[in-house]
Amino acid sequence: MKILITGAGGFLGKRIVERLLAHGQTDLRCMVRDVAKAQGLRDLAARHNVEFEIVSVNMRNAAEIPAAISGCGLIIHAAAALKGSPAEMFMDSCVASRNLLDAVAAMQATSPVRVVQISSFGAIDVNSQPRGALLDERVPMEPHPEKRDLYSYTKLRQEQIFWEYQQRFRFELVVLRPGVIYGPGGGRFSNRVGLELFGRFMHLGGSNLLPLTFVDNCAEAIVVAALSPQAAGQIYNVVDDDLPTSREYLQRFSQQVQPMRAVPVPFFVLMAVSRAVERYYQRSKGQLPAIFTPYKTMAMWGGNRFTNAKLKAIGWKQLIPTNEGIARSFAWFRENPVAKK
Amino acid sequence: MCYNWACPVSISPSLRPAAADFGPALRVGIVGCGKIADAHAEVLTFLPGATLVAVCDREVLLAEQLAKRFAVPRYYTDAAEMLAAEKLDVVHITTPPAAHLPLTKQCVEAGANVFLEKPLTLTAPESVELIRAVEAAGKRLAMNYWPNFEPQMMEFKQRLAAGEFGEPVHIEASIGYDLGGAYGQALMSDPNHWVHRMPGKLFQNIMDHMFNRIVPFFPDGDPEVQAFGFKYRTEIRNDSTDALLDQLRVVLRSGRLSAYATLASQAQPVGNTLKLYGTRATVEVDFNLRTVVTTGSQRYPSSLGRLFPPFQQAMQYLRQGRKNVRAFRQHRFHFFAGMTELLTQYYAAIRSGGPLPISYAEMLSTARIMDEVNAQVYPQNNTPNATDGGAA
Repeated sequence: MKILITGAGGFLGKRIVERLLAHGQTDLRCMVRDVAKAQGLRDLAARHNVEFEIVSVNMRNAAEIPAAISGCGLIIHAAAALKGSPAEMFMDSCVASRNLLDAVAAMQATSPVRVVQISSFGAIDVNSQPRGALLDERVPMEPHPEKRDLYSYTKLRQEQIFWEYQQRFRFELVVLRPGVIYGPGGGRFSNRVGLELFGRFMHLGGSNLLPLTFVDNCAEAIVVAALSPQAAGQIYNVVDDDLPTSREYLQRFSQQVQPMRAVPVPFFVLMAVSRAVERYYQRSKGQLPAIFTPYKTMAMWGGNRFTNAKLKAIGWKQLIPTNEGIARSFAWFRENPVAKK
Repeated sequence: MCYNWACPVSISPSLRPAAADFGPALRVGIVGCGKIADAHAEVLTFLPGATLVAVCDREVLLAEQLAKRFAVPRYYTDAAEMLAAEKLDVVHITTPPAAHLPLTKQCVEAGANVFLEKPLTLTAPESVELIRAVEAAGKRLAMNYWPNFEPQMMEFKQRLAAGEFGEPVHIEASIGYDLGGAYGQALMSDPNHWVHRMPGKLFQNIMDHMFNRIVPFFPDGDPEVQAFGFKYRTEIRNDSTDALLDQLRVVLRSGRLSAYATLASQAQPVGNTLKLYGTRATVEVDFNLRTVVTTGSQRYPSSLGRLFPPFQQAMQYLRQGRKNVRAFRQHRFHFFAGMTELLTQYYAAIRSGGPLPISYAEMLSTARIMDEVNAQVYPQNNTPNATDGGAA
């Protein structure tokens, strides 16, 4: 079975390719948008002494997709926008997905295909749950994505589109919702830890457990679910075990990467600030953006926890222990310091 | 000499009428829900006397997200359907410029006034056709030259009109563009991006902002244009993005007045200034700092004339900073304050039939200068005689 991986040149995509190879899947077609990102994949193929296809496709252009998915029995859709303007993010996450699914729908009658979508915890209606609750895959989807951060909105809309098409065209769909994907080459701090404001790092996560998943563990989860017959039509949370609190992560980062002078902001203070920011936004007619609102704050820093029991039930095992994942990441951060602007 | 900016139309925020004074709110729609549409929706959310009632994009997901994020009641994928259903007073057209002419015709024929994103069209003759269509329909047009209505530009225009700087001798407009930024990356990573298909490519998308600051100083006709375009970046991607030049220098002259325009895509920080060398003082408007600072004649003898000026300049920045803080405290310091001012003036002109904030002659002069620049820096794509668009 030929397997297509979209976003294969990305942080997660490359690891998915590696895990597929580890599972003995070598008939791969790697889709990248920017040919400049293909070199990492070529190196990967050389290291594993295999050959796989690399195709360059801009998924905003629907016409480019049918040929790229032709002959594939499994599509792992890892391409998504992480940043950019709202329109750019919707184009690269939602429009690109819709274009992909149009091509899948056209192919489905003659050549059935299983589709795996990488969603996010951002798609979940965490605000309907008690603060700090343990959330499984039965929690409904966010009813007010427009009130959340842009990334969450795009990921939620993307997942909705996948379910809409699955209902209409009846292909096999598997959805994975990773938490914070981290690792060498990734970001240093999730917003769940905090934000840099006015040159100071505001520690907003306090004693919340960070829903981390090391990039190799996440890729393994995707591949296990993608290849598992019983995963069809299912949603899986993807999060590692033995998670650190936000405070522990930050302390360890300070000790092992670089000293951080973070300003701790307790949750009740953050909520008060969020209410004030929202009021100011209205009173000043949008003079400053409402980057904090009670709704966003509750969703991002409310301290919900996520279970991975369902993922384990289909055979996923955490490849890299969290301690080691953090150590590897921090080692990479030390060797690759962020250039000062 | 009368140059157009010596007679600014300004509505002081403190004198601006309350929402109740406008009468029925203008019904506004947006066509084109890409990046810049966000700015329009943001300004319209809080603008008195106007209500954003509908948005439209051929891509339904883009129309949907803009409508939901800004609580717009309805969204469409067909402009004709929106125009028929919504009976709009004004349509903001925020599509790529190739669609400006047909969409403007469609809107004015449906009875709507039009607020256009820059550039006006792809060529000056098309621009003439567009303005004729607006006039034939008895409707009114404005372009989103919002930086020219920023608080510091309003101050500059008033002080210019008061004669503080004397007669202009030379003008410099400078603007930067970060090709490594989010917007720059969007077009550099996509060889099919619409910017690559415009006659002036990247320049055409942003050089308006230089020339529309210079054109009001040449009210008697188009200046002579000498343009130089070249590429600073070295990386080659082996696709159509390679054809894109990233540096533009333009010299303009008419009679005793000269001007110089710089578009630099690699220099940091990304600049955005207007400098006027006058017979009494030289003044620089910095759009990023929101300051208007003059360099006056030296008043002190000998080395004292080198000692005091930095402090005099510092005092000017202090005064400008205080003014900005005051505006911020009064909630008049929004990022797109210039668009709020421009739309306030434009909507007032629609209601009253009074003068428009930007004359059609200025728009067309800017379009002709852009055609001339394109012909000189991309001669293979642009015929030299393509700039025959006369003033409407």
